[in-house]
Amino acid sequence: MSTEMTCTRLTILTVAGIFLQIIGLSIFVFGFFPVKPTLSGVSGSESYRHPLCDSSPNTNESEIHPEKLRLLYEELSSITSRYDRLILMVIDGLPAEFVLGKDGQPPLRVWKESMPYTQSLLANGDAIGYHAKAAPPTVTMPRLKAMVSGAIGGFLDVAFNFNTQALLDDNLLGQFLRIGWKMVMLGDETWIKLFPGLFMRHDGVSSFFVKDTVQVDKNVSRHLPNELNNDDWNLLILHYLGLDHVGHTGGRNSPLMASKLKEMDDIVRTMHLRALVDRSHDQGRTLLIVVSDHGMTENGNHGGSSYEETDSLMLFIGLSSNISDYAGATNNLAFQVDLTPTLALLFGVPIPKNNVGVLVPGTLNSLRDFEQLRALELNSWQLLRLMQAQLPSSLFGSFSCNCFLEGTCEGFGSDISDCSGDKEKQLICLFRNAAVLHVLWKSKKLTESSAVEDFNRALDAYNTFLKTASEWLASKTTEKPVLLLGLGVSAMLLSCVVCVTLFLSLFKEVYNGPKDQICSLSYLLNLEGLFILAVLLILVISMGSSSMVEEEHYIWHFMVSTFYLLLLFKTVKSFSFSRGLNSLGEYKIGSILLLLISGRLLRGWHQGGVNWTSFPDISKWLEQAGGSYVKWVQLISSFLVIGLGVFTLFRTGWKRKSVRIQAFGFSICGFLILLHAGIYQDGMFEVSTDNGATVTAKVIYLLLSVSAVGGALVLPWSMQNKDKSFLAVAGDCLYLIGSAYVLCWCLLQLLLQQPINSGSILLLLIQILAVSCLSSKDVHVNGWIEIAALYYMGMAGHFALGNSNTLATIDVAGAFIGISSHSTILSGILMFMITYASPLLFLLSLVMYIGGKLKNHSVLAHSDTDLGQLLKLKLGFPCLVPLCINSILLTAYTVVLLLMRNHLFVWSVFSPKYLYVCATTVCTYVGVCIVAATVAYTLSVTSFLTRKRHNNS
Amino acid sequence: MKEAKKKKLETSIGGSISALGASFVYSMTGLFLAVGFWVARNKFSVDLVSDPSWTLFLLWSIEFPVVVIIYSFLRKDPQKCSCSKAVGRSILGLISGAFMNALGAIALGAPIGAQYIPKTIHWSFLMSVFTFVPATAVLGASLTDWHRVFASMKPSGNIEYMILVPAYGAVVGGWFGAWPMPLDWERPWQEWPICVCYGAIGGYILGQILSLCLILFLRKDKNLKVA
Repeated sequence: MSTEMTCTRLTILTVAGIFLQIIGLSIFVFGFFPVKPTLSGVSGSESYRHPLCDSSPNTNESEIHPEKLRLLYEELSSITSRYDRLILMVIDGLPAEFVLGKDGQPPLRVWKESMPYTQSLLANGDAIGYHAKAAPPTVTMPRLKAMVSGAIGGFLDVAFNFNTQALLDDNLLGQFLRIGWKMVMLGDETWIKLFPGLFMRHDGVSSFFVKDTVQVDKNVSRHLPNELNNDDWNLLILHYLGLDHVGHTGGRNSPLMASKLKEMDDIVRTMHLRALVDRSHDQGRTLLIVVSDHGMTENGNHGGSSYEETDSLMLFIGLSSNISDYAGATNNLAFQVDLTPTLALLFGVPIPKNNVGVLVPGTLNSLRDFEQLRALELNSWQLLRLMQAQLPSSLFGSFSCNCFLEGTCEGFGSDISDCSGDKEKQLICLFRNAAVLHVLWKSKKLTESSAVEDFNRALDAYNTFLKTASEWLASKTTEKPVLLLGLGVSAMLLSCVVCVTLFLSLFKEVYNGPKDQICSLSYLLNLEGLFILAVLLILVISMGSSSMVEEEHYIWHFMVSTFYLLLLFKTVKSFSFSRGLNSLGEYKIGSILLLLISGRLLRGWHQGGVNWTSFPDISKWLEQAGGSYVKWVQLISSFLVIGLGVFTLFRTGWKRKSVRIQAFGFSICGFLILLHAGIYQDGMFEVSTDNGATVTAKVIYLLLSVSAVGGALVLPWSMQNKDKSFLAVAGDCLYLIGSAYVLCWCLLQLLLQQPINSGSILLLLIQILAVSCLSSKDVHVNGWIEIAALYYMGMAGHFALGNSNTLATIDVAGAFIGISSHSTILSGILMFMITYASPLLFLLSLVMYIGGKLKNHSVLAHSDTDLGQLLKLKLGFPCLVPLCINSILLTAYTVVLLLMRNHLFVWSVFSPKYLYVCATTVCTYVGVCIVAATVAYTLSVTSFLTRKRHNNS
Repeated sequence: MKEAKKKKLETSIGGSISALGASFVYSMTGLFLAVGFWVARNKFSVDLVSDPSWTLFLLWSIEFPVVVIIYSFLRKDPQKCSCSKAVGRSILGLISGAFMNALGAIALGAPIGAQYIPKTIHWSFLMSVFTFVPATAVLGASLTDWHRVFASMKPSGNIEYMILVPAYGAVVGGWFGAWPMPLDWERPWQEWPICVCYGAIGGYILGQILSLCLILFLRKDKNLKVA
């Protein structure tokens, strides 16, 4: 880095650094959150037709009567359902090892003896158990989703699914509902959250009290006798949480474990005897399935991807399988998602669209031969449909529909090729083999008697295809491209280094310049500077802890108030009591106290976060006190915002006509906003969709943008003063433009934010004015510290407006104000403006800050400074500070996210936070761009006018 | 009796104190802090977690007389200012210091619910005993001295070190003590003001040790200079 850096070079390097960062960020996001192409909609009768021959239009099946639909499905599938009732018993956190043993060995004696009935079922061949491998994250809700939909969920589809936890994708329970099943749910209330309104009867228990290992299961079992006597349900879901709680409190070898297993065993016995054995004669048959959603580690935890955690159980009781030996009944492997297609085919419903599971081998033994092959065929077709969405259609081009139906593919004949080549081609080839063998068997079945060999060949071919296809599809959704991630992170690191290097080289120039009066080391690295750096370090460290991410607002508020106290300390320190108090000192202390008070009020405005959201805060208190108080707060803060803003505008440029016009415009806007609030926002949070409201909001948008942009464009031309130096004029002008920006943004937020937040907007404005007072009064604090503090205050304000690091706090309602037709982009922009109101406000106030500094500087500096040099020192340096802070935080958090990719809360805590970090990055770019454009424009216009005047005179 | 003699010895020196004296003062304050905890635990069977405000009240009301008596003997200008006057002004210092500490805590985010008010009050009295009371007892109301000691951090003499360093230790310790509060460990001591109290007491004791070291080090330094 050369000692002298020109303005152009700085700009080019900064822009290059930012572009590098954007590219790195997008590569990383693309790699970390794979957007998997899934199929929308619900499987219907088309799933019984070949995917490549599907030409018939979809009839609207939702109008068909459930019973008719059931018969239609049965006819299309040509598989007769053996069962009409299903009991799904979910034992939370039960490792398959407890029941089935490990590596061919029977389970430990203590576990085996605790479950005598289940073991006897396994030994008699009445039950067949599987080690069902669960995909991480091994926590209940994603596992339940995987079990009923067969899909491995991505993150972004959760993130974009804003406020609801309900499972909207195609799933088994929805399919059962369509054929008119009645369902009963007892146990973990997660089911009720996932499927609201779906159950005929339900009794949810909360998984919140981990210490409770007894009552939580009693609450489920108490309904069992009644439900087993009832005839009115088709599906009974029992979700027992007690075993997971035992694990959490005492680990796998907890003394409570044996009795809990015994309890589960008793329940299995009750259900087997009552529902399966006693009733199997008169009514249809019942299938009992015991599954666990995940396993547990030695210490009883779960969430990760170790064998102990992913080893979940799948136990079918009541299948008439031909297995009689114990090893055959226990030593089977499957995947958790395999439950979905198996149940769908056993009970005669279409397989859910995004299922990646395959039929569990061995569950179909009770079916006839052609039914078995048909079931495998249906499963293959469903997977093929899913593959079609992810593969280029050219791969399928060589197959015609007839090729599969008739078994006469041109060019292939009916011979079987051993498939090789790349994975995609191999998959297609395997499918073709299976289809050909199936057709072969069908044609031979009628003529030849010994078709057993052909049958087995077709069966094997189908199983090979299904296994390969399922693995390929599953890896598509979970694999993380290491190359992309590495590239993204290294690009971000590089850009971070570029930013920091630029900052440091400018830092040297700013503070070691010959003109600067104080350049001792103690001045450069004082208490505040160290504190600002320490805050950065603390933030980076705290991001590694999930609870600190959830409660991040505590850090910001604590740090910002500590910074105010440090400022207070510094101000008090600079007093000299021998000369008595001076008014300047009192003024400064007053500003700092104002900052402290408003900061504390802002902190108390919204009790954000996750764990302590229910604690009282000012907004809750106001809302409880009644809507009229909120109205009053809104009214008073709107008046004060307008008053303060107009006062700030007039303080610098009272005499100018343009300022008066601008102030007039803002006042009109203010009253329009009050009108809008008074007339159209009658309900507390419901923004009416009245036409008048939309028009008013549009007028306000127009007026505000004209006042702000027009002011910024016109003011530099009109502000000419022969008595003042170039810098003083530019400073005045920038201060005016900056305050116009701030006022405009505040008014806009008064319109967009919830009424309760108008108080916080006022407090934020007060903070900005107090800071600008302080910085114009020369607190002996370095410029970069002030700007960093502004950034921190912006983040503290972000949380004071009720935001948090969960996606649930995004204000969606406000994003439709003034939009007449639904537009995702416009409401997205509005949502962004609402969420990032405070950081952008503080970034915009940088214009004011730069103006104030220029005015102060004009007293000291020479009259003719080079414009490039001026821009570099007065604009480039302040803009680099937020860019640097943001790039450090972004890079650090990217690394944290990579390290935490197997953490229990990676999808619930860290990934939403990462989305917020990305949005903050965008917000910083936008703010800095506006500041840079405004300041550069104003300075060049002023310098041009000054030069012209000099030439004229 | 022995204590009284020793104190007289200290006062006769007139506003300065040896390292030994300082360690004696510190051990007395530490001892009575421990006595406070002991009384709370054994006589009233409460502790900071079960009943913070009552425990804090016991702590500061036991610690306060000790601190006042000791530091009143160490007051500036013992000739001009009587011992009773020093005691009187330190009571005023206790109240105003508690006020300042409470304001500081609230500014940093201490909760202001009705159930927190007694806790905050008693906590700020304890903080005041650590920070303001020794300073008012020794320095009085001289703003210049306060500014020199606390703001400019230019203490002169061992006593002012003994005021300054533990006071800042208590404040900084309390600041760090607030850190575990937002974590979701669900421990009862994460409530306001329990861990802040632990932090403040820890910081106070660390400050005492540090100031002892400073006193010892500075004396050596002086000797070297003299030599």
